[in-house]
Amino acid sequence: MKINLKDIVIIAGNYGSGKTEVAVNLAIHCKKAGTDVRIADLDLVNPYFRTREAKAVLNSYGIDLVLPPEMYMYADLPILSPAIAGLIRNPSPLTILDAGGDDAGATVLGALAHVLKDQEVRLLQVVNPFRPFTDTAEGCIRIRQEIEGASRLKCKGLIGNANLIDDTSAADIRSGYEFLQNLSGQSGLPLEFITAPSGLLPELEESEFACPVLPIRRQLVPPWKRAAVI
Amino acid sequence: MAKILMKGNEAIGEAAIRAGCLNYFAYPITPQSEVAEYLSKRMPEAGGVFLQGESEVAVGYMIFGAAGCGQRVFTTSSSPGVSLMSEAISYIAGAQCPAVFVNIIRGGPGLGGILPSQGDYFQSVKGGGHGDYRLLVMAPASVQEAVEMMMMAFPLAEKYRNPVMILGDGLIGQMMEPVEFPDHLKSEPTNKDAWASNGMDTRGSDKQNLVKSLYLDPQQLNDHNLLLKSKYEQMKKEEIRFEPYNTDGDYRVLIVSFGTMSRVCRTAIDNLKEEGIEVGMIRPRTLFPFPESAIYDAAVKDSCTSVLSIEMNMGQMVEDVERCIRGQRPVRWYGKCGGEVPTPEEIMDLVKEYV
Repeated sequence: MKINLKDIVIIAGNYGSGKTEVAVNLAIHCKKAGTDVRIADLDLVNPYFRTREAKAVLNSYGIDLVLPPEMYMYADLPILSPAIAGLIRNPSPLTILDAGGDDAGATVLGALAHVLKDQEVRLLQVVNPFRPFTDTAEGCIRIRQEIEGASRLKCKGLIGNANLIDDTSAADIRSGYEFLQNLSGQSGLPLEFITAPSGLLPELEESEFACPVLPIRRQLVPPWKRAAVI
Repeated sequence: MAKILMKGNEAIGEAAIRAGCLNYFAYPITPQSEVAEYLSKRMPEAGGVFLQGESEVAVGYMIFGAAGCGQRVFTTSSSPGVSLMSEAISYIAGAQCPAVFVNIIRGGPGLGGILPSQGDYFQSVKGGGHGDYRLLVMAPASVQEAVEMMMMAFPLAEKYRNPVMILGDGLIGQMMEPVEFPDHLKSEPTNKDAWASNGMDTRGSDKQNLVKSLYLDPQQLNDHNLLLKSKYEQMKKEEIRFEPYNTDGDYRVLIVSFGTMSRVCRTAIDNLKEEGIEVGMIRPRTLFPFPESAIYDAAVKDSCTSVLSIEMNMGQMVEDVERCIRGQRPVRWYGKCGGEVPTPEEIMDLVKEYV
């Protein structure tokens, strides 16, 4: 099943739900499928493991990554590049905005509300049920409401990102999918796609899932590991 | 309990609750603010207290106050914040109160930067505050180990009536790994009635407990310092923890490295093994007490010709490595600062210069 996303897609969710890993892999996946993609790093909250660390690999695929100016790259204060508003006003066939975690990270979207209101925007919530505070449907819905409040946008769908990084098993993907199906039912939001580490794909059948599966090749890794070839 | 995916900072907060610590006072600073973020949600659920102090100086004395009442208490901060707390840490050690401090180190000196560093080795191990005191310092290399050390830290602080420091670089706080939590520990210090100012009625005693670090009589202060010294000597006997890696066979080079830096070294050692080059490693898990004999024994092995101390700083632990090797082998430091982390490839190249 194919992932069909276009216009402006905002990747939001709680801290550590895997937004950036999903955004980077999604951008490359869609680019490989022939869609022109641009991606912007809106994470003003978290100082580590941000989209900007995947700059080289994104650029190697011809994907433009919009970042704060170089001189502010490690600033302790939030820097929102004016280029972001420009990107939203003139979107690519697919423009991915990688937001920061929780409502704090989504606050920056509220600051962009005046430019976002004229565009086709799809805000998606990334959920990893193996993370604290999103291990119940109620927890996921609470975080979604907080993000909606801070961003002044309505969430339009869910991304299932069940994983325990290197310890993820095929059973975890299946139980994560069930969790997301249930959450989708309770919240009325469609499940856009789920993710699975590319190494587990041989153990999973496409027919098991009623939504597309985005293979994840980890790009944001600690210094003792190498990013996966993507 | 099933595995859960957590950031180090979140796991540290959860581990404290599991250890029975329901008092957390802190002031936010990157890269450890997620502990406060997490505990602002979790402490009320667990029936505990999170209070943001007006500064790190205030927090240090809030910790002293709670510890002096016999309550389990901890704080987390990062380098400049720990400098501000250092006066209180000295008072707490002097007054023999148990407390747990977590330093998720950022680059220094001064405000430095927000990326990972191990630049606070001296501050933690050699005494950041004044006077003759020591902290029991543990350095985790993974999120799981941070959890385990947090849970050990409270009983150890109480055993010695002394502050315990968990020293992690920014990566320990920020990275995500799957973790499992052991069962809860008992929620109160068992020996507190002997010394805490928790109320004579509460403990059914007719003896006053006075929490203080002031001893104007020189003889009394000397005796007090001798008592403190005896505790630090006992730590050296009973609390040394380390992990050897690839030290069973014959190796030409011995690496000493702690925290997440040791994981980069581990990758380098594994890669070198594939090339037929054997390198051993001792990873101190406690930085004070320092695994002196383990490092000495590993260094003087016949096959070993040199020792490398690899650190995310400009050469701090290397002084302790040299001290325990006592000139028996050449010791060299290698490291980087400011968030630049030595790569496995750099370490492999370095080792090849010696074999």
